[in-house]
Amino acid sequence: MAGLARISPNVTVSLCRSQGLPVLSTLVRHNATEPAKNEKKTYGPLKDQDRIFTNLYGRYDFRLKGAQARGAWYKTKEIILKGHEWILKEITTSGLRGRGGAGFPTGMKWGFMNKPFDGRPKYLVVNADEGEPGTCKDREIMRHDPHKLVEGCLVAGFAMHARAAYIYIRGEFYNEASNLQIAINEAYKAGLIGKNACGSGYDFDVFVHRGAGAYICGEETALIESIEGKQGKPRLKPPFPADVGVFGCPTTVSNVETVAVAPDICRRGGTWFASFGRERNRGVKLFNISGQVNNPTTVEEEMSIPLKDLIERHAGGVIGGWDNLLAVIPGGSSTPLIPKSVCDTVLMDFDDLIRVQTGLGTAALIVMNKQCDVVRCIARLIDFYKHESCGQCTPCREGVNWMMKIMHRFQTGNAKRDEIDMLYELSKQIEGHTICALGDGAAWPVQGLIRHFRPELEKRMDDYEKKAARN
Amino acid sequence: MASIIKVIGNVRRIISHNNGIIGSFLKMFRHDDLKWGTLVGEDKYGNKYYENNYYFFGKNRWVSYPQSSGFDFDASEIPPEWHRWMHYMTDDPPTKVPLPQRKWMADHTMNLTGTSREYVPYSTTRPKIQSWVPPKSSD
Amino acid sequence: MLRLWPLRQVAKVQNVLGGLTQIATKSTQPAPAPELVEVFIDDKQVFVEPGTTVLQACAVAGVEIPRFCYHDRLSIAGNCRMCLVEVERSPKPVASCAMPVMKGMKVKTDSPMTRKAREGVMEFLLMNHPLDCPICDQGGECDLQDQSMAFGSDRSRFTDNAFTGKRAVEDKNIGPLIKTIMTRCIQCTRCIRFASEIAGVDDLGTSGRGTDMQVGTYVEKMFKSELSGNVIDLCPVGALTSKPYAFTARPWEIRKVESIDVMDAVGSNIVVGMRTNEVMRVLPRVNEDINEEWISDKTRFAYDGLKRQRLTTPFINVDGQLVPTDWETAFVKVAEKVKKVDPKLIAGVAGSTADAEAMVCLKDMINRLGGELLCTEDSFPLNRSGIDFRSNYIFNTTIGGIEQADVVLLIGTNPRLEAPLINARIRKTWIHSEVCVGVLGAPVDLSYEYQYLGDSFIVLKDLAAGTHPMCKALASANKPMIILGTDCLQGTENGVIYNAVKDIAERLRKNLKHKDWKIFNLLQKNASQVGALDLGYQPGVSGLKALQAELIFLLGADAGTVSKDKINPSSSVIYIGHHGDYGAQIADVVLPAAAYTEKDAIYVNTEGRVQLARQAVNPPGMARHDWKIIRALSEILGVALPYDKLADVRARLGEISPTFDQPGQVNESGFEAQAYQLQTEIKDPIVNVNTAISPTMLKLKDFYMTDPISRASLTMAKCIQACKESEKNPYSKQEAKA
Repeated sequence: MAGLARISPNVTVSLCRSQGLPVLSTLVRHNATEPAKNEKKTYGPLKDQDRIFTNLYGRYDFRLKGAQARGAWYKTKEIILKGHEWILKEITTSGLRGRGGAGFPTGMKWGFMNKPFDGRPKYLVVNADEGEPGTCKDREIMRHDPHKLVEGCLVAGFAMHARAAYIYIRGEFYNEASNLQIAINEAYKAGLIGKNACGSGYDFDVFVHRGAGAYICGEETALIESIEGKQGKPRLKPPFPADVGVFGCPTTVSNVETVAVAPDICRRGGTWFASFGRERNRGVKLFNISGQVNNPTTVEEEMSIPLKDLIERHAGGVIGGWDNLLAVIPGGSSTPLIPKSVCDTVLMDFDDLIRVQTGLGTAALIVMNKQCDVVRCIARLIDFYKHESCGQCTPCREGVNWMMKIMHRFQTGNAKRDEIDMLYELSKQIEGHTICALGDGAAWPVQGLIRHFRPELEKRMDDYEKKAARN
Repeated sequence: MASIIKVIGNVRRIISHNNGIIGSFLKMFRHDDLKWGTLVGEDKYGNKYYENNYYFFGKNRWVSYPQSSGFDFDASEIPPEWHRWMHYMTDDPPTKVPLPQRKWMADHTMNLTGTSREYVPYSTTRPKIQSWVPPKSSD
Repeated sequence: MLRLWPLRQVAKVQNVLGGLTQIATKSTQPAPAPELVEVFIDDKQVFVEPGTTVLQACAVAGVEIPRFCYHDRLSIAGNCRMCLVEVERSPKPVASCAMPVMKGMKVKTDSPMTRKAREGVMEFLLMNHPLDCPICDQGGECDLQDQSMAFGSDRSRFTDNAFTGKRAVEDKNIGPLIKTIMTRCIQCTRCIRFASEIAGVDDLGTSGRGTDMQVGTYVEKMFKSELSGNVIDLCPVGALTSKPYAFTARPWEIRKVESIDVMDAVGSNIVVGMRTNEVMRVLPRVNEDINEEWISDKTRFAYDGLKRQRLTTPFINVDGQLVPTDWETAFVKVAEKVKKVDPKLIAGVAGSTADAEAMVCLKDMINRLGGELLCTEDSFPLNRSGIDFRSNYIFNTTIGGIEQADVVLLIGTNPRLEAPLINARIRKTWIHSEVCVGVLGAPVDLSYEYQYLGDSFIVLKDLAAGTHPMCKALASANKPMIILGTDCLQGTENGVIYNAVKDIAERLRKNLKHKDWKIFNLLQKNASQVGALDLGYQPGVSGLKALQAELIFLLGADAGTVSKDKINPSSSVIYIGHHGDYGAQIADVVLPAAAYTEKDAIYVNTEGRVQLARQAVNPPGMARHDWKIIRALSEILGVALPYDKLADVRARLGEISPTFDQPGQVNESGFEAQAYQLQTEIKDPIVNVNTAISPTMLKLKDFYMTDPISRASLTMAKCIQACKESEKNPYSKQEAKA
């Protein structure tokens, strides 16, 4: 997925500022300072009638007929005929934030495309390169509810005047790609997309592009490069894809989930969507719970649901009970882990996780109980990032490799105590110095480990030293 | 008085050592020195080695080069076994304690620097510029 | 990462859009100057144009930002991250090479954050960089060395060296010129960008990801480009170094002499690296008007030819065999020969690398003796106004002017091999604008797309008559250019071809909106040609046969145009030159002279630009400067020339043509209309040329040996060998069959 679209929220703010959008920064500031009024104080569980993805577990037919029975493609024409301004307004009202990890306000992002026509076509690119360890939400959408995505492409594409949508799907997702292609073919046949989509007079095409298995291609600019047929290596920003994107044309890259929820938001109204979750963290969201829980699962839940609730209710609790919990990685492998003491109270939304120095990311929880070797877990994650680093820019290419070497020594304890500080500093040297966010994503797990498990690291080093002295 | 007699005796001994007055004159002309002493030995190149402890340390051993060396004699004509004795590394001349002969020992040669047979090092670097050699005409 | 292609697309779109909106005003009114943007670099206020990058703005403020991947003439990669700077109100440092300036931006180039970022990047770069500086050829001129001194940490934290060691990468074999030590590579991708953008050869790229990323050709093949050597200069570390120069010298031992290249008629500006009276290497010198900062491989690597096959002593012919002799004997021999012949039958031929001083001395001497015929090796038609007007035989548009052209028509030339830097300029123009290139000649690989018109004379006649489809494009062009090669002017029918080309140019010129734009260009191949024609030499050696010359002075004429069977068999030949080549072999007396690195000399390039070459080393052995040889000879022959100093010779040059007094400048040559009108009619104007209009150099292997210096060069021989081998390599791009 979106693998890499995650940028830390503070970066999000900087992004807005650097684009010279005073409107946005005041908006953000306004929202941050004003206390929420008449807000509900408890979140979740989600009622069944509020679920968007009603075939998440594949119990029903994924094809057009089944999808229509579940409400897809219902009054899509009317939505389109209400015009793109209306769609953008609904999305903005809903408070939907990008589901790929960075959490950039979707209404605003799609609004960037609302520039006068300059002769170049515009494109919507759907990021279905879901490669982040622990994350498996988009594949559920694509294999069990592909029509939600195809319809979302049309709605989102229409909202930004896009000529066509490219769905860049991860190469390993064979069945997902095939289901998606079936859905697209059905939609073409039914006249829902293509020339005069849904009878609205709007022409819109959807293409599926299968990737070749690189995590970095989940980064939006690398994804664009990959679609263009080049090595998947992130581009420099600026120019942002909204100016120069795929084939040199204005492009918006959105996550599968973001796009797929758009039609339902339009059908049920932005205010309905905004009634879930806390201020600035609105809506419902797919959560993946994996690791040492009794029932690993993907579940649609309300934003801001307490982490403990989520695990206990949907995943059948931590193996060995809640007290056996060691730590949780709350948002896919690239977010820093949080120890049990934090897990007790934290809410699953953007702002509360920022408060505890981690991030919502893709909302893919990786649960670790006390039987697991947390250092080895993190070392394995760094292995992954070292393997997936594209090698384009120096800090990531060299730094992640170095971090991996150090982490493997930490795993056995073959290191000096001051190397912990050095590793922390190295991760800081990588973070924020790279072209894309992969460097950040590689640095954060290490930072989280050092922040919360320093005694564990030191204990291993002492043990190793003692063992070495004995031999 | 006694010292004068000693001097006269010395002069007599020097003259007799150097084959008379003419011999002494030639010796003086060739070696710039006149001494008398006992012949300690002679090497195969014809150098004669003398010693007289009457003279002060440093002057009490000397060599007389063969006539074949002419006036162009050189200290490096002394072979190594006598060199040690001459330089007081030992008090035993090779006549008394001969040098052990080993098969790898080369014959002694004097330092030939400045002579026609001197060693001239040659350049091992290639010339920087390679000149054109005109092709040989076939006709 | 190479955004060349998408950028082109954007540019195309913008061009179209621009064209739509201001089609009427495009050419007549200059665009209004854009408003300058105010930025603060370390609290110093500077105004720069919008779209400037932060790094360039810092340069304006006099702050140099360290960089590895950024290069002025290449696209921006932004991947080394060395140029990170702090920008106020940005939470993370930004890559200054890629970030455009914004109004009121406050950049801090020496803040703790900036310094920490640089130190961090430096540490990462050095982590896998081998510590072989003592045996690295880049040592002393290495960006990584310099910048780690300036910006790096003072100690190493790389303790993992003891556990896992550093990365090692296999070296690649990319030809006889470039030595690769890929372990040293820091993946800045400058070489890749150079290859695909400037050289137009997509041979280099990256393979692998992350730490395993490697720069290379993927399959082993030669980096087949005439500009390949420039990647050596571009490489900020010692990953790409010069193979011939390997382990021969250190940069701090080398004395650098700024000079001019004579391998082609472009007159590239070079720096000759000299140590202990030996040319160690040749590097480019920046001259925006000519070579920017590139030089061709022949310019860079043929210098070892200066040390081989040299004439180091005079020779005289004794019974058909050249024997070495001394100057006096040789001079006396020449005097005897001069005395024997009718002074009118004395002639001189200037070769491809002759300098202007020597040529003027030879001309004055022969004229004083009574001879009139002085010619060059390259032929040129004397119909029309011939060489009476300078605009007929120079590159009028100028090399820098190519960038403004919108239609380029190449006739009978292969600029890629005849003048690689002019071709690089055309490619640059092709990339950055919508220039349309048409080629009449051989369908060679020019590194850019072109419209091939064929190679027959009929096409040229159609063009001249205005019936060819290309004529429309030419006529509608704002700034058309016609580049005529000299290869197609060597035959007997050269006048017909030349006439046709002139007709095309004249018709275009009449309808031109920009009256000062020059259309007609002649692309010379020899460094001496324009200078010789300026001094009044006749083009072509056909006069020798007509005159039945008895005594011929060859001034480095080695192209083989003067040979025993083409001249009067009884004539004597005096050769003045620096290499034992064709000329020396047929000579009766050989007088050894200096090559271009060994003399202070003036060369005129194909644009008509006068340039000064400076002496880097002494002429070898008994060889002397050419003009001094002729001056001494003239004394012996009793016609002493009145030049005792080089300044006197140059004063004489200035008398002949004032252009010689203005080195470095191009004097615009006007009178195109007069040059066209003053045509001398050809007897039989409807001559049809049956041979194809084609350049002689078609493939890269033809490029390397074109003059006595490169013919003597071992490196060039290796290049030809490598080219031949690469033709057998199935993975190597095959050059167009001609």
